[in-house]
Amino acid sequence: MFKNAIAKASAKSPWIYHINTGSCNGCDIELVAVLTPRYDAERFGFKLAGTPRHADIVVISGPVTLQSRDRLIRTLEQVPEPRCIVTLGSCPQSGNVFKGSYSVEAPVEQFCDVDVAIAGCACKPETVIEGLYKAAQILEEKRAALYKKEKEADKK
Amino acid sequence: MKLPFLPIALKNAFSKPSTVNFPAEMHDAKPNYKGRIAYDPEKCVNCGMCIKVCAPEAITRTFEETPEGTKITYAFDMCSCTFCGTCQDFCEEKAITLTGDYHLTATDPKDLVTVGSRIKQIPKGDLICGDACVFCGLCAKVCPEGAITVDRATKTWTCDHSKCVKCGKCIAKCPKKTLSFAEPAPEGVLFDEEKCVYCTLCAKKCPNGAITVDRPNKTWAIDRDACTVCGLCVKGCPKKALEIGPLPAEGAAKPAPAAEAAPAEAPKEE
Repeated sequence: MFKNAIAKASAKSPWIYHINTGSCNGCDIELVAVLTPRYDAERFGFKLAGTPRHADIVVISGPVTLQSRDRLIRTLEQVPEPRCIVTLGSCPQSGNVFKGSYSVEAPVEQFCDVDVAIAGCACKPETVIEGLYKAAQILEEKRAALYKKEKEADKK
Repeated sequence: MKLPFLPIALKNAFSKPSTVNFPAEMHDAKPNYKGRIAYDPEKCVNCGMCIKVCAPEAITRTFEETPEGTKITYAFDMCSCTFCGTCQDFCEEKAITLTGDYHLTATDPKDLVTVGSRIKQIPKGDLICGDACVFCGLCAKVCPEGAITVDRATKTWTCDHSKCVKCGKCIAKCPKKTLSFAEPAPEGVLFDEEKCVYCTLCAKKCPNGAITVDRPNKTWAIDRDACTVCGLCVKGCPKKALEIGPLPAEGAAKPAPAAEAAPAEAPKEE
């Protein structure tokens, strides 16, 4: 009965969980810059969540190193549906300059479906806001589809 | 009582907010910002230097044979690029530019690939050097593939034709204008004496009557001026004695690639 209220409220505050899978920190800093007063992504309700269990949007940065691969999979398993996965920068999409390395497992598409790709090395904060905004819209669509499915299941 | 932050508080109360009102008010990137790559295929000479200097291997080149010529496609993957701008710096034709476009988000990563293609008539002949050469070595310096070697001491000029991509940069750079692509040997119908049974089918097939076959004397002749190299005789030959290929050179004054073919064919002419 509260589902409509939850959907309405959640649409206005998509929480972000940021996981660094071996990034050089360039993109991580840009993501933090997005949350500072200068760009203030909290205008749209974006907020860093402390745990993947609270997250709606997962932001992955880094070329997925061998060490971080299992942690990434484990983290993604904990994120509840509906969720949206965003790749930050060139690294998770292709491996960037690290491609071909013995310790890099890029692209991240092998482990999960990516909803939004944000390109850049490192990405501009404006680009990050654009990407997160896109992700929030996708999240809303996913949530509507999920709730519709659950409703139909309840009727049966 | 002292209020140390009062002036700052008052100033901020009446000033504009420091937050950038971004998606509502789009603004251009700062000058010299390196964003999405723009590629002009018309300017590109297909030297491949950008591919060589690209550290993350974000640039790929594909060749496709079409009836109009070779279709060359360059793809710049923004999801792989480091935006270092080295490709732009190394492109002598200025075909690559890193624009200030920073809207680099997509739900499908394929949307972030800049693709440009064009059809180029790649010269068929190999690169040759004429007599006017002064062995300055400029051609070797400008070659993106390192195919040319020039030895000033021994006055030799050599080109590794397997490496040459026929971009034409050396020809443009040559101060003596002595470099050129050799004219390809003209194509025509080649005759194999050993396979032929002189059935005259080829002469009957020929729409221009260019072939004359003498059965009793076992001779086969073709009028090269009348022949249009249509290939009907080749298709009609039951013994596969005919084929289309580069004609052997007449005389020894021709450039090197044609001259090499000449000795092989010479015994047949005798």
